[in-house]
Amino acid sequence: MAEDAGSGGDSLQGRGPDSGCRQPLASTSRDGAVPEHQQRRLTGGQGRQRPPETANGEGDGEEEESEEEPGQSSVRTEPDGNHTDRRMLRQQYRQLINRVQQNREDMLSSKSNSLTDALQEANKLFSGVSQAREAALDAQFLVLASNLGKEKANELHSEMTVFDSPAFAEDLLTFMGLNRLEGEENDSDDESIASGFLPNNAWHKLGAEAERYFRRSPSFHYMLGSFKADPPVPRQRIERQKRKVGTEEKRAMPSQLKKMEESHQEATEKEVERILGLLQTYFKEDPNIPISFFDFVIDPTSFARTVENIFHVSFIIRDGFARIKLDQDKLPVIEPSHEEEGRENDQNAQVRNQAVISLSHQDWKDIVETFEITEPMIPPPGVSQENES
Amino acid sequence: MATQMTDGHRRFLQVLMSHGIMEGSVARTLHRDCCEIHKVYYAHDKLDDFINVVNIHLQPFFMQIRKGMSEDDGRTYYALVNLAETEITKMASDYTENELELFRKTMDVIIISESGFASSTDILNLADQLKTKKMKKKEAEQVLQNLVQDKWLSERDGEYTLHTRCIMEMEQYILSNYQDLVRKCNICHSLAIQSQVCETCGIGMHLPCAGKYFKAQMEPHCPHCNEFWPHEIPEINRPDSELPSSAPRERRRTPSSGTRRH
Amino acid sequence: MAQKRRSKGPGPSQGELLAAEEDLAPTQSASQAPRSLERLSPAQVDQKVSELVQYLLVKDQKKIPIKRADILKNVIKDYRGIYSEIIKRAGRTLQQVFGLQLVEIDPRNHVYILVSNLPRLAVENLKQDDCTAKLGLLTVILSFLFMKGNAAKESAVWEMLRRLRVDPGVRHEVFGDVKKLVTEEFVRQKYLEYNRVPHTDPPEFEFLWGARAVKETSKMQVLRFIAKIQNKDPRAWSTQYTEAAAEEAAVGGLFEDVSTPGGASQGARRRT
Repeated sequence: MAEDAGSGGDSLQGRGPDSGCRQPLASTSRDGAVPEHQQRRLTGGQGRQRPPETANGEGDGEEEESEEEPGQSSVRTEPDGNHTDRRMLRQQYRQLINRVQQNREDMLSSKSNSLTDALQEANKLFSGVSQAREAALDAQFLVLASNLGKEKANELHSEMTVFDSPAFAEDLLTFMGLNRLEGEENDSDDESIASGFLPNNAWHKLGAEAERYFRRSPSFHYMLGSFKADPPVPRQRIERQKRKVGTEEKRAMPSQLKKMEESHQEATEKEVERILGLLQTYFKEDPNIPISFFDFVIDPTSFARTVENIFHVSFIIRDGFARIKLDQDKLPVIEPSHEEEGRENDQNAQVRNQAVISLSHQDWKDIVETFEITEPMIPPPGVSQENES
Repeated sequence: MATQMTDGHRRFLQVLMSHGIMEGSVARTLHRDCCEIHKVYYAHDKLDDFINVVNIHLQPFFMQIRKGMSEDDGRTYYALVNLAETEITKMASDYTENELELFRKTMDVIIISESGFASSTDILNLADQLKTKKMKKKEAEQVLQNLVQDKWLSERDGEYTLHTRCIMEMEQYILSNYQDLVRKCNICHSLAIQSQVCETCGIGMHLPCAGKYFKAQMEPHCPHCNEFWPHEIPEINRPDSELPSSAPRERRRTPSSGTRRH
Repeated sequence: MAQKRRSKGPGPSQGELLAAEEDLAPTQSASQAPRSLERLSPAQVDQKVSELVQYLLVKDQKKIPIKRADILKNVIKDYRGIYSEIIKRAGRTLQQVFGLQLVEIDPRNHVYILVSNLPRLAVENLKQDDCTAKLGLLTVILSFLFMKGNAAKESAVWEMLRRLRVDPGVRHEVFGDVKKLVTEEFVRQKYLEYNRVPHTDPPEFEFLWGARAVKETSKMQVLRFIAKIQNKDPRAWSTQYTEAAAEEAAVGGLFEDVSTPGGASQGARRRT
């Protein structure tokens, strides 16, 4: 460690332990994108000097850096030094610089020897330097390393503790309950990242601690009022009726009769629902044109069906899902209630008017003729509805 | 009686805001702590008065701290609830429109079911029937998980029912929107989602209410029609202590011993 | 415009409210003309104040700062003429009832947040959910930024977080898309600022503390957090300690409080 400080101590530029935003060094190639652990493997270890790729040099553009693909050329422009070797050397320098930049915290950490390692690596590289271009890179590296070294030295020399983020991370992991013994496989090759098992609630635990250092307002959550309350749908209403009847009659009736009663009840409900559905569909198709009550209920082909239709429609009216009123010609029209109204009508059931309709066979015939009804608007149950309307 | 709020009240309200709902003994502990921290008057048996002071001040915002009972174990709970639906409350951002629709459809299924439970399959099948925006099963699963986490639903063996918090906030809404489709408990007369139902006359009782009611009876009979009560009598959990607890704050769900009808 | 559509069957406690409100409903939508304080009954103003309080609480759910423009559009509407009176009184109410403080974090664009006036205590357990976990992550980032001179390059922040198994390229079990959480959600909530470093190609970004972080916590608080985690005395980091102490000394001016003139001293009250 003292070694680190020493080797970095010959810094020329006085640079205090400044912020994370240091002056960017000469821009590096895109190699920086290589994940750090790969880089580490690439440059770490012993075999630093890659075997020379080819003996024949290349005469590519001097300033263009295309290390990846050595162009084949027979012209040699460099008098001395193998061109490929030089390029590789430059690349190694850049990688080294990159690594030091990317792992600044690690370099500064009192626990790590990374900076020493990097300097040793640079020393090795320097032995191959013979030209100005490579020497410039070496100088660039040294400026970087000496700045870091100075920073590190400052930290060590002064009395004060300097923030050591790898150590902070270690302590955070400990606080979060890292179980270092239970060796979960560490999928990162990076040795600087601690291995061990981190419990599921690790971050929650840390957050609960953090909460104490904040003045964060608790927020108010609710369910009621977060959506627009709709009135109940007809299905519910009908089911409710069923249950009411079911429970009341249960005691008195023999079970078989009860069953019949129930199935009858069910059939009625189904039919009422179907007719209401039809009414709503017709109305939706053209909400501006009122539907004639007669047109709607009268089946020109069957008096019995007409009576049944009127019977079923009466439930719809009673339960407030539709209403009958008179148009300008004082003829009855039927329209479904707006959704909210259905409920309200139901609640004020007592103020509703009642009417008894009598319809003789003759009346039925007359109406069919007068209103020129040729087709039923309510097809008999069981008729596929796709063919209608 | 003093009606002025102190920091003790404010702290109590803030912590309850954070949790949404709190078990009685936890609330009593919090009451004590809040009074001690801010050095304000404390009487261990005056929690409801203390809360009342808060409620007076919450009125203008249609908010209220309510006291209620869990259908699972009969314990007392306190919840901070919203009372009104306004243009502003509809701006809530916890759930999206189709997530709310899924919740409401789930509520339908739960309420319509005799048992007060809806299976996860039933709920997930609703996901592609949503009118607002269809949902993938996977998304619906996540929404369900969030609803459980936020204490609007509670889950047991893959079946969902309304959480006590939800019942406490939505009781009036459910009673008026589902009208006679829902039962009221014959003992405590409040909404009963999970209940034991008399097979003869159809009255229902909360499991904990039935447990309490039948406790002393050798042979249980329906309080309404006097027929034999055909269900297993639920055991009553230990009664609420009226003193603040020093027990762990997160209550563990006690498995209900009551019968569940299907 | 009258916005009271309450749930059916209000509880007994709502009876009075309902009556009071119906008195108001017609006047509320009667005119679009801007109103002045003199022309409004105290009850009308109270009503607006309550609506604003409710609105601020609802908007605080996601911790996204609240813009004045939205307040005007959604709540104030044609009470614009007495906007500042209403907001002042809403701030006061939030303080008196909820122990919350309405803070203007951007006086130029009039952006508000809510913070608590009550110091959190070790004994009280708030609900632990994913927001708690996110606060943990945020605190680590804020700690790092402060200790590194109040700003840090994005790459340095991720380097730090990777040690905690939080990687921007890897979906996190708790945080999901953590890159999005840090560079978008925290930024929108104004916990962090995320800026491009000038003259960088490819672009590099750096993080700073956002305005919400400044109001909800402080350098000293964050230093205390670090000290707790590292089991040290906060004074051990003397440079940062000096900086934090200086901020704390000046903090009275930092917490401008829109509700009461004495708000500054309220805001300056710190945890110990």
